[in-house]
Amino acid sequence: MATPVISTGQSSKVFVPLEIHDLTVAYSKRPVLYGIDLEVPQGSMVGVVGPNGAGKSTLIRAIMDLLPVASGWIQVFGKPFKKSVTRVGYVPQRESVDWDFPVNALDVVLMGRYGRLGPLRRPSKIDKEIAMACLEKVKMHPYATRQISNLSGGQQQRVFLARALAQESDLYLMDEPFAGVDAATEAAIIEILRDLQNQGKTLIVVHHDLTTAPDYFDRILLLNMRVVAFGLTKDVFTFENLQTAYGGRLSILSEVALSRAQKKLEGDTHENISE
Amino acid sequence: MRDQFLPAFSFQNAIIEPWSLYFDSTIWIVTMGFLVAATCGLIGCFIILRRMALVGDAISHSLLPGITLAFLLTNSRDTLPMMIGAIAAGVVTVALIEAIRQSSRIKPDAAIGIVFSSLFAIGVVLISAYADTVDLDAECVLYGEIGWIPLEDRIVLGGHEIGPLPVIRMAVIGLIALGLLLTFYKELLVTSFDAGLAASLGINPGRYQYGLTLFLSVVIVSSFESVGVILVIAMLIFPGATSMLLTDRLPRILWLSAGFSGLYGLLGFHLATWLDASIAGGMTVVAGIIFTLVWILAPKRGLLVKFVFKSHSKGARTSSIETQAG
Amino acid sequence: MRIFQNRKARNLLAICGFLILCSLSQAAKIGELTDTNWQEQAIEFWTMQQPSVRMAVVGTTLIGLCCGILGSFLVVRKLSLLGDTLSHAVLPGVAAGFLWNASKDPWAIFIGATAAGILGVALVGWIRSTTHLKEDSAMGMVLAGFYGLGITMTTMIQNMAMGNKSGLDKFFFGQASAFNEGDIQLLAIISIITIAILLFFYKEFLTISFDAGFAKGSGMPAKVLHYALMALLAFAVVVSLQAVGVVLVSALLITPAAAAFLLTDRMHWMLILAATFGMLSGVLGAFISYLSNDLPTGPFIVLGATFIFLLAIYLGPRHGILPKALRRRKQRKRIALENTLKAIFHLCERSDFERRVFELNELSRERNISLRQTEREVANLAKAGMASRQSKDSPLEMSAQGRFKLTSSGWLRACEIVRNHRLWELYLTNAAHYRVDHVHDDAEEIEHLLGEHIVKRIEERLQNPITDPHGRLIPSREQVTV
Repeated sequence: MATPVISTGQSSKVFVPLEIHDLTVAYSKRPVLYGIDLEVPQGSMVGVVGPNGAGKSTLIRAIMDLLPVASGWIQVFGKPFKKSVTRVGYVPQRESVDWDFPVNALDVVLMGRYGRLGPLRRPSKIDKEIAMACLEKVKMHPYATRQISNLSGGQQQRVFLARALAQESDLYLMDEPFAGVDAATEAAIIEILRDLQNQGKTLIVVHHDLTTAPDYFDRILLLNMRVVAFGLTKDVFTFENLQTAYGGRLSILSEVALSRAQKKLEGDTHENISE
Repeated sequence: MRDQFLPAFSFQNAIIEPWSLYFDSTIWIVTMGFLVAATCGLIGCFIILRRMALVGDAISHSLLPGITLAFLLTNSRDTLPMMIGAIAAGVVTVALIEAIRQSSRIKPDAAIGIVFSSLFAIGVVLISAYADTVDLDAECVLYGEIGWIPLEDRIVLGGHEIGPLPVIRMAVIGLIALGLLLTFYKELLVTSFDAGLAASLGINPGRYQYGLTLFLSVVIVSSFESVGVILVIAMLIFPGATSMLLTDRLPRILWLSAGFSGLYGLLGFHLATWLDASIAGGMTVVAGIIFTLVWILAPKRGLLVKFVFKSHSKGARTSSIETQAG
Repeated sequence: MRIFQNRKARNLLAICGFLILCSLSQAAKIGELTDTNWQEQAIEFWTMQQPSVRMAVVGTTLIGLCCGILGSFLVVRKLSLLGDTLSHAVLPGVAAGFLWNASKDPWAIFIGATAAGILGVALVGWIRSTTHLKEDSAMGMVLAGFYGLGITMTTMIQNMAMGNKSGLDKFFFGQASAFNEGDIQLLAIISIITIAILLFFYKEFLTISFDAGFAKGSGMPAKVLHYALMALLAFAVVVSLQAVGVVLVSALLITPAAAAFLLTDRMHWMLILAATFGMLSGVLGAFISYLSNDLPTGPFIVLGATFIFLLAIYLGPRHGILPKALRRRKQRKRIALENTLKAIFHLCERSDFERRVFELNELSRERNISLRQTEREVANLAKAGMASRQSKDSPLEMSAQGRFKLTSSGWLRACEIVRNHRLWELYLTNAAHYRVDHVHDDAEEIEHLLGEHIVKRIEERLQNPITDPHGRLIPSREQVTV
């Protein structure tokens, strides 16, 4: 196993939010991620795109140290994940929890503060105010005292987002935050994400919709067990790259969507040039 | 009566004597053990596939009030009323679990726990309330003991003595189980694998669910005298689960289960004789030991193989990547 | 079909409740059968002059408290049956502890049983992570395997020439009066530890229960917390064995917590309620079993808990079966009322709003229901002050020619309903592009549910329309008020 390279005495060195070196993750015998190298610059909003089973969620879970890593290493702000836990916010998939759980929306958001509090300390009034403010940011404050099963899918996703906001992190990992939400919620969420990016936060978002990906993200990570391509959206979002990532599985519908998206990107560049 | 907890192992006493001195009872006890385990194991394979293992546990507990009520109403220990009581209890258990699940947000696991414990408690209360009139012992129902089954009633057919009544009864039930499973094999397979698909093929999954439940109750009530209600669950799950670690094909799983059942009956009996303990307990301990051995040593999926594999994992991973890429 | 199933479900639950009541009343009967007078026994119990009674009450209360709190975490994490597994898995540990010094030393049994319980839970996790067997099979095997081992060991003990082994059978069904001072001390210590740990680490336990991945991601040691909870559970199970017995201790973990889960939407309230229910059923069980000496305590504690659960599932204000049924009935009544009003409006409309007084048989034909039903509906309307009778019939019975008319409030409501219906039809055709012949059935349902606010928005969207897609007039707001 490779040992992390620890910088020697260069305290002034600025660490990138996420650096992955030769990462391999395997479920029993089958590798899911293989030889991943990645360096995500600060303030970027990365869309993780790839076909089903490409290991998108696995990558997020591996970064979060929720899965055993077969080889390679991951550093978050220059340290192992455990050491920079408080600087990472997380939005899991909506199906990963039981929505009948006896908590209300505010309780869930308040959980975002717990990591910061550490053991034995109870959430203060300030924590509650912050949680409430986060709910307000996602426009869910009228539902603060609702039990979470009485919220719609999009509202539940907003509560999860509010919880991540309450973590006040520098790096956000989001696992399909747009899955099963209505168009209005999707627009609201992307607005909040852009806002976070403008504050200099780094976002890594698993996304399954090729048509919207180039609109939403300034960087794309094309994943299919390995890194197919990573970089600025206009460089990565090419037909060849997508064909490699999706193999023959790129359906006609996605192809049409893709060509449309490419045209749009080209249009953007032309505009830039003309400016 | 002896002084030490763990008696010295004597090959003569534990292995030879039962067969040389008490052959007549030994052969029937071992056969009975095998029959109980095989019948339970057969139906248990489907129970495991349907993830109903703990429903089986619940049904086995709920039989207590069923057979107690049947006894109180008919005042006899005949098989038929007991059977009816048991089947009724089984159906009520499953229906109640379903009822709680449907009419509230209680999750199925909690519903199972609530239903079986309540019914079992009712059974215990009934037995203690009529302790003087009921010839049932809650503890007997709980543990059961193959050694106590009456071997005197012999069934005679055409001048030939076939065997003791309880053993023959168990054999008949086992054969019926086998026959039913063979008859409805494909329906059971389809409904276990994919209820939606079954419904679209015109097979009513609910009907098979209830059918299986009914038959499970019958098997459990016919086994409880021998192994007790709680160890029935061991006999239901261990043969199938152990076989599933060895193979993926359902027919092979069924055959292997039968083989394991024979081992449980034989080894369990000898273990119990050696330790001077309950035979049902002995069978379960043997089942547990065999499972553990298979778990560690299974050729494809054993812990040992996995452990060895892990040390070569890097190389294997590369090759598997290459095969996938190619 | 679904309604039928629900009704069946309710009936079944009712039968179950009846059986439990019967069983509880059986207890009183046993008291009568025995030579002691059960009333005297009851008084003796509640005055608590006997130390054994005091101990039984304190013991069962503490048990109910611990099990209720810990069980809540099991129920919300969908691990209820892990509690069952754990309680069966402790049996070999109990036997081993018993063997340790051949007496009923609570500490020896406690240590042995806790070790066995935790080993059992760990094995379930281990089987699940290293084989493809599912959780329920893994739990079933551990439960039955450990129990079988336990039974082998207890039968071995019973066949041994040894002094005091009488206490062992109490571990199967429980006997609260068998509590001695040592047991109570142990129980008190366990209760204090449990409550203290849960208080100190409440937010951690809450977070891992709701979303283990997130909890790990915010730096909480999820595995440590999980096994801490399991250890506490093992403690609670072991100390409860004496009073409830191996088989039924899982009920004490699951049932009060499930009842609490039905009644509240907040975790801390669930914990408090579950603890209360646990304590109540504990004392109830101790009381009933005290009425006669031979009665085991465990089953009565369990039945007490089940009784509380049934009350919760039936009467729980928000999720209870009865309040839900009542609410549904009320709504059905309102819908029937509104349908009658609508039919009267149609009659009125057909006469170009000339006639205001109608006969019963006209309405009966319009609604396509029997005269008797029509009569009942008009009576309901009259009761609600929305219709008045015009004929001189007796107040109880109206003939087919019995005449009635709507009062002003009835007329208002009728206009509102028709308005809702026609607006919705128009909305579906114009805004949602439904075909005209597809909108009626949907409007039939939605007309009863539209609120003032939404109606206003639809109106704005459709720019205050006058006619519906079928060309009929939509009663306007002004018309309604006139």
